[in-house]
Amino acid sequence: MKIRNKNEAAKIEPQMAPMIDVVFQLLIFFMLTLKIVEPEGDFSINMPVAAQASNAIPEQNLPPLKVQLTAQANGELASLKFNGSDLGTGTAAFERLNGLILKAIGRPGNPLTEEQEVEIEADYNLNYEYVISAVGAVSGRMQKTSDGKMKMIRYIQNINFAPARNKPGA
Amino acid sequence: MKFKKSASTVPEVDMTPMIDIVFQLIAFFMVISNFEQTQADERVKLPQDQLAQPPQVKRDKEFVINFGYDRNKKGEIIGAGTPLVFYAGESLPVQQFRSPLKLERDNYVATGVDPKDVSVTIRSDSKVPFGQVQELIKLCQEVGFTTFALKAQQKTL
Repeated sequence: MKIRNKNEAAKIEPQMAPMIDVVFQLLIFFMLTLKIVEPEGDFSINMPVAAQASNAIPEQNLPPLKVQLTAQANGELASLKFNGSDLGTGTAAFERLNGLILKAIGRPGNPLTEEQEVEIEADYNLNYEYVISAVGAVSGRMQKTSDGKMKMIRYIQNINFAPARNKPGA
Repeated sequence: MKFKKSASTVPEVDMTPMIDIVFQLIAFFMVISNFEQTQADERVKLPQDQLAQPPQVKRDKEFVINFGYDRNKKGEIIGAGTPLVFYAGESLPVQQFRSPLKLERDNYVATGVDPKDVSVTIRSDSKVPFGQVQELIKLCQEVGFTTFALKAQQKTL
C-alpha cells in the first residue's frame, strides 16, 4: 500500500463561505434594527387633585415656595417668578431658580426641609417644555462624582401644580 | 519546469481576522439594540431635561398616554393645532379621550387591578400648552387614576 500525500489529506479545509453568508446576514439585520434613541426618563409626580390639595396639606411651618411661569401669546416663556421675584427668562433663569431652591432648603437632604412643597403655577398656553424645565430645576441638579459619573442631587420631591391661569375663552 | 500543484493557483485567503471583526460587530449591535416593547409614539417630541432619570425599578403596571401633534417629515406641526391624544391608532382631542380612558380603567378593574396602583405615564410634546396637559391629568383623576409620571428626554451634557 502506498500512502501518498499523507500530510495534505489530514488537514481538512472548513467551508467558510456559508458561514460568512449567515454572519453577514446577522450583521445586516442587527444594523438595520438598530434605532438610536436618547434614553427617556421621567419625573414621578404626586399629583393630588388641585381642589383637594388645599385641605389635604397638613399643618406645616415651612413657608410655601411658589414658582410662577407666565407665557407670551405664542406659548414662549414671558417670565419666571420665584416667590414673587422675577428671575427673567432663558436657561439662566432656571439656573437661578435652582440656586434659590437650594438656598431655601438649606442643603440637599436636609431633614428639616424634607417635607417642603413647591407649587408650580403656569399660564394655560405656556409650552409644556418650560414646565418640565421648572420641575427639573426644582427637583435637583446633576453633579459629577469623583469617578466621573453623573449623580443626581435631589432638592425637593413634593411638587404641586396649581390650576392653569388665563385660560383662553374662560 | 514542473507544475505539480495546480490547485495552489487559487490563492487561499485567510478568513480568520475578518470573521473575528464581523463577530465583534454582531456582538456590538446585539448588545446595543433594544427590543423592548415601548408604547412610545414617534410623533411626540419630548421636552429635554437632564434631571429626567429612567426609573430605577420598572413599573409593573404602566399606562402610557402619548399627547402631541401630527407632524410632517420636517417636524412642523400640521393640522388644526389642537394637541391630540394618540391612543390605539386614533388621534383624539382631550375632551373625547374620556370614554377610551374609562374603558381602560374598566379593563384594569376587570382584571383585578386597582386603578390607583397603575402609573399613568404622560408623554407629552414639548409644544403642547400646559393647560391641555393639566386637563388630561384632571381627566385621568376623574376616571380614577392617581399616580402620574411625566416623561422627558434625558439630555446628556
